[in-house]
Amino acid sequence: MASPSQPTDPRPDVSQLDLRVPVDPFNTGWNAAIGRPPKIVVEGPAFDGQAPKTLSVQFRRAPIKTFSFTFPEAPAWALKPPADKPAAQPPQANPPASQPPEPRPDRQPTRIAPPKDVIKLQDRLYYVLQPSLESLVASNSLEFPFEPFPYQMEGIAFLYSRYTAILADEMGLGKTMQAISTIRLLLCAGEVRNVLLICPKPLVTNWRREFLQWAPEVPLAIIEGDRVRREWQWRQEQTPVKIANYELLMRDRDVIVDPDLHFDLVVLDEAQRIKNRSSTTSQVVRAISRSRNWALTGTPIENSSEDLVGIFDFLAHGFLSADMKPRQMAKVTRDYILRRTKDAVLTDMPPKLYRDAELELTPEQFETYQMAEQEGVLRLEGMGEGITIQHVFELVLRLKQVCNFDPVTGASSKLERLEADLEEVAASGQKAIIFSQWVHCLDRLKERLQRFGTLEYHGRIPSKQRDGVIDRFRHDPDKHVILMSYGAGSVGLNLQFCRYVFLFDRWWNPAIEDQAINRAHRIGAAGSVTVTRMLTVGTIEERINQVLEEKRALFDQIFSQHEGPRQNVGLTQSEIFGLFNLRTPKGPLQAVA
Amino acid sequence: MTASSSRSTQSVGFLTVCEHEAQGAFGGYLILNTVGRPLEFHCTAPVRPSRAQEILYGATLQAYLHGEQIGQALLEKAKLTPLVVFTDSPAVLTVRGFTSLPVACVMAADGESAQQTGSQPVHKLRWDEQHAGPPTPFALRLHAFHVGGHPLAVLQDHAEDAELIAERWEPLAAEFDLREPFTRIREAVDEARRSATR
Repeated sequence: MASPSQPTDPRPDVSQLDLRVPVDPFNTGWNAAIGRPPKIVVEGPAFDGQAPKTLSVQFRRAPIKTFSFTFPEAPAWALKPPADKPAAQPPQANPPASQPPEPRPDRQPTRIAPPKDVIKLQDRLYYVLQPSLESLVASNSLEFPFEPFPYQMEGIAFLYSRYTAILADEMGLGKTMQAISTIRLLLCAGEVRNVLLICPKPLVTNWRREFLQWAPEVPLAIIEGDRVRREWQWRQEQTPVKIANYELLMRDRDVIVDPDLHFDLVVLDEAQRIKNRSSTTSQVVRAISRSRNWALTGTPIENSSEDLVGIFDFLAHGFLSADMKPRQMAKVTRDYILRRTKDAVLTDMPPKLYRDAELELTPEQFETYQMAEQEGVLRLEGMGEGITIQHVFELVLRLKQVCNFDPVTGASSKLERLEADLEEVAASGQKAIIFSQWVHCLDRLKERLQRFGTLEYHGRIPSKQRDGVIDRFRHDPDKHVILMSYGAGSVGLNLQFCRYVFLFDRWWNPAIEDQAINRAHRIGAAGSVTVTRMLTVGTIEERINQVLEEKRALFDQIFSQHEGPRQNVGLTQSEIFGLFNLRTPKGPLQAVA
Repeated sequence: MTASSSRSTQSVGFLTVCEHEAQGAFGGYLILNTVGRPLEFHCTAPVRPSRAQEILYGATLQAYLHGEQIGQALLEKAKLTPLVVFTDSPAVLTVRGFTSLPVACVMAADGESAQQTGSQPVHKLRWDEQHAGPPTPFALRLHAFHVGGHPLAVLQDHAEDAELIAERWEPLAAEFDLREPFTRIREAVDEARRSATR
């Protein structure tokens, strides 16, 4: 800086100041650390023996357990209709059981079910795996003249798989057709080759006719002629179906029971014929060598459950015993018996109308009846211990005859009523069947009923003429009445064009009455069938009627699905004696059928 | 297997699987002659998939179980060589990978399989190449065709079978209701199942 006493030097005085701030670094010791590289330490985990667990699922083909069944192939044997016998043309003279239903496209196919007594799985599967019956029929190029009803197809399926069977359909449902069609299918399948059909003699022609209609390609042999010819027929093997009648069995017994003569199937028609196990007929049919056996009957029980035991003695000897209770019998036979009623399966069938004509005896009849009964009862009472059931029966028959006609004057309240009814039947162009158990009664009726164009069909009419009688009755518009005995006319006839049936007297057995009625009330019935049951009040007929009703109850107990408790109310000896308030004598009595 | 033996020209196979809720799947294989009568029947014991199979096979389980496992086992058991094997379940068609026989599924008119599978459908199937929508993973691809009025389907991978089946089946088609034999198989399987439990 310049002082004021000294000359002024124009030059500024310049001095230098040290402006530096002294900085002394503070030694933290960090700098060296910052300059050093970081220390990295690498550590490895110990994997020794610690590998992760894995699970492998292998889908190798596991063995599958299988079961194998093989079945025999049906032989390539087709029964073809003979060229001169077209299958689909049934004889128009007799369209039995055959107003067919219209084909229904929605109908369920009918399958063959194995019977319960077939145990082996292979055998059961054989039936389960069969095609429907409809397919079997179609595949064999078989034709039915009419489409069967569904229940008939079920009947065929039932028989097809059974070695032991009773087809017990109510009369008129077509048991014949079902049996024939099943035989036909079994023949086609090669399951049977040799069939024997046994029927009552009057029905042989009916069976032949039905075979022609339902199985025209099946060769038939009717066993008939002299002994040499019959023996040849029994033994010849070319004809797969043989038809014989019960009466022949006795005569040809030696041939039939020959063990070398074997049948794959034996069919008994009207099998109630063998209900009596001790009868010769029953013994002979039981002795026939056979693999399968069927029984056809609308009345497997006519009098008591023992009838069924008799039939089963043929089918499966020892299967039933007489001491079985009806309910137990029903249970064990259920799988072997097929029973259908018209009410159950033919819901659109015309009704059967019962009209009980309860009539007073004419004065002449009444007087005779009273005298006969009093004398008869006195005589029975006088017999004491010597009385038998046969004696009672004789009196019953005598009194029943009086109920029909007074033996002296010929007076008959039943005939008076019958004539009145027949006037109406004839006037309306209808036809009627009149049943009686006595041919001499039918003779009397014939005399009085000639104006109605009366025909006869009973035991005195030769077998060869019977078809002609039926034919006239069917086609002659002037023939309004046919007189039939229960014995000759109750089975095998197709009279569904008749709308009136008169039971002039009552049979002992309701099943026989049903068979008679069902000559008219069967498939193809033209309309409702009116059944007039003639009964004289206050007589033995009324008392018998009560017994008949009780027999119906027994039948229902075994064959109905209802298992309500009912007592066995068959016709007992005590009840027969009770018809006249007679006391049963001590000791066994000889039974009367 | 071949279809060349003399008897083979006279038989037809029907293969199906029946599901039983409690016991599992039963396979049934029925060989019929040309008029519908049974010649052979083979069935399996019940087969149940494991839980692992259910999970891992997923949507393909039924085809694996019914076709590869059950179907193959049954076809191997047969003595006869049928002209064609029919099934009513598309899942069974996968057996075709294990046999030389043509295998066809009988379809209903609407394109679904004839079998009533209930609430559990067979895994989704494609009817043909024109099927709308995106392809479903693992779906069976089918080739549809008709023989004698019957709608049928084969696996697309074996579409050439259609011609062979038509040639062999056409003369017999009028005689057969192709769905009916499956009813018989189901009844027979049921009979065998009941028999085993008696």
